[in-house]
Amino acid sequence: MSEVTLNHVAKSFGPVNVIKGIDLQIKSGEFVVFVGPSGCGKSTLLRMIAGLESITSGKISIGGTIVNDLPPRLRDIAMVFQDYALYPHKSVFENMAFGLRLRKLPEHEIQTRVNNAAGILQINHLFERKPRELSGGQRQRVAMGRAIVRQPKAFLFDEPLSNLDALLRSEMRVEIKKLHHRLGNTIIYVTHDQVEAMTLADRIVVLQEGNLVQYDTPDGIYNRPAAKFVAGFTGSPPMNFAPCRIGEGGRVLHVAGGVDLPVPARCVDECARHIGREVIFGLRPEHIGVPTVDAPGIERIDGSVLLVEPLGAETLGLIKLGKHDKAAEVTGRFEPDARLQVGQNLPIALDLNHFHLFDCKTGLAIRGNGW
Amino acid sequence: MSDAAVPKQKDMSEPMLGALLLLPAVLLLLLVVVYPIGTLFWTSLHSVDNANPQAGEQWVGIANYLRAFDDDRFWHATLQTVIYIVVTVPGALVVGLGLALLANQPFRIQWPVRLSLLLPWALPLVFAGLIFRWFFEYQTGIVNDLLARIGVEPLGWLSDPTLATIAICIAIIWKASSFMALMLLAGLQTIPKSLYEAAEVDGASKWQQFVEITLPMLRPSIFVALIFRTITAIQTFDIPYAMTGGGPGDATETLAMYIHKSTLDFLDFGYGSALAALMFLFSMVATSGYLRYTRRSSGRGAEE
Ligand SMILES: Nc1ncnc2c1ncn2[C@@H]1O[C@H](COP(=O)(O)OP(=O)(O)O)[C@@H](O)[C@H]1O
Ligand SMILES: [Mg+2]
Repeated sequence: MSEVTLNHVAKSFGPVNVIKGIDLQIKSGEFVVFVGPSGCGKSTLLRMIAGLESITSGKISIGGTIVNDLPPRLRDIAMVFQDYALYPHKSVFENMAFGLRLRKLPEHEIQTRVNNAAGILQINHLFERKPRELSGGQRQRVAMGRAIVRQPKAFLFDEPLSNLDALLRSEMRVEIKKLHHRLGNTIIYVTHDQVEAMTLADRIVVLQEGNLVQYDTPDGIYNRPAAKFVAGFTGSPPMNFAPCRIGEGGRVLHVAGGVDLPVPARCVDECARHIGREVIFGLRPEHIGVPTVDAPGIERIDGSVLLVEPLGAETLGLIKLGKHDKAAEVTGRFEPDARLQVGQNLPIALDLNHFHLFDCKTGLAIRGNGW
Repeated sequence: MSDAAVPKQKDMSEPMLGALLLLPAVLLLLLVVVYPIGTLFWTSLHSVDNANPQAGEQWVGIANYLRAFDDDRFWHATLQTVIYIVVTVPGALVVGLGLALLANQPFRIQWPVRLSLLLPWALPLVFAGLIFRWFFEYQTGIVNDLLARIGVEPLGWLSDPTLATIAICIAIIWKASSFMALMLLAGLQTIPKSLYEAAEVDGASKWQQFVEITLPMLRPSIFVALIFRTITAIQTFDIPYAMTGGGPGDATETLAMYIHKSTLDFLDFGYGSALAALMFLFSMVATSGYLRYTRRSSGRGAEE
């Protein structure tokens, strides 16, 4: 078994606390992605699991063994680095074989493992080359190959795709996901790219300034964000936010700019507990669009178009809600057929079945049972 | 008219422009390198009769060179120089590599380490020679004092040919390893940290990391350092000059010291020039040997 467990894990560099007490359970065979903005401590946390950074306090166990005091080579993990860290003076084959040679595996076993891994990654024809003779994508594959041949309990990836161009990145994303299906090893993967996180992960860990903000499936992260930070980090474009106040017994949201929105019936009870409080209203762009059908929870509002961004398959429109000077501005997703024009006035449908509320001060989500 | 000037500027072809830009450097090289070497060879084919200096330089052909081959003192000085090369080149490399590895450690405060690396290098060679001469003095030297403390009889470090050679080698290694270390340290600092981390995850011990990563990555720096050290070792002069003056007798005399003596003490410019020309030849052979080796291995170089 190769589950990875973190117990109150913390790290400080001198007086600076970089990781502030993280509890985490990663199941055997699970693909977990650490995501967060640059500097939030993702790499540090991964390197602590790898054994490349010491653990200030707390416990890390891999496959049931506490590894706090074990050096990286005894943790049975393999790592893929952001800059690939291929050995420049060794051939591709020797780069991949290095870890096996150090473990004194018999030569035929080394040959088999390296050949198999190279077959999966389609890099057999590169065996004789030096890393400097490879393209970025090929180096990336060799770095993964070097990890695969080791057959470790867990793979650790630190932003492995961030040095590739956009097209190659989405290609390799698919390859990594296929690889996980094929090998089934536990994978811990660090990225600052929410698209990578959403597409790859079984579960996502969202980190903010060394704290774990949410640990959930991509669906949970996207549809039930635990905090405004998470909501604003996922989706492209991310969620729209507007300050608002809850009134009328929890039945109405007074959104800044003089727009009043009715609270869907199933949410009234919870909202009633926050009457009069300053909160933040959130709605994703896909829940803002042209009115089509009338259904419960769908609210029509007069809006005007401030900006149009055609993306081909869809068009993003920056919409001013209502007529007020300080009216909220939100981004909505529209069919290209909607033919938005800047300055155009049009009715806008807000799907309030999917609205979110966040506490102004803590940024945490306000959410009742069942929404 | 200004229109016509533009195509005219274009008339100068790229090779022409290149030659023009090279000219100052070529002239300078001719003046300070080629001309003196030419003069040296020219002088080595002549002789001045010191009993009758008015007669001027007489053409003697290769007589000076033939004389060198029969000159025991020349062969001894050459052998002595070879000993200094064979001992101090690897010696300074090993000590310098050790110092560089030490200086590359993450010390809290870096500057004392770097300074102690720089100091021996910044010290003039003659000072280094004098300092070690004091260390190895029979009566008052610190080396014999330390030996006495562990119950060893005082040794005549500077009066015994073998011991004097050893003492001189120690002084040269001390002096030379500093520059070695600086060059190797620069090389060490270009090795990405992630390579060591990858090797650590792959399962390499510290020693295996040194053999599998540090040494191969450092190879280009080691080569440059070795070339520099070898050329300087061929020209060894100051330190034996200050420590023993070539003594006892001519025992520790190097080729450079003998050349110096022939020309400036014996005023035998023709013979001295012939010896200098031979030394120049040795340097060329050694350097081109290294260069051939690096060129052959550059295909396997560690450079990205
Ligand atoms: N060796 C170190 N010494 C001091 N501070 C460090 C060190 N490594 C990382 N940090 C700090 O820890 C924080 C988290 O870094 P890191 O884990 O690399 O972030 P991320 O990978 O999420 O971008 C940053 O503020 C960084 O400056
Ligand atoms: Mg990072």
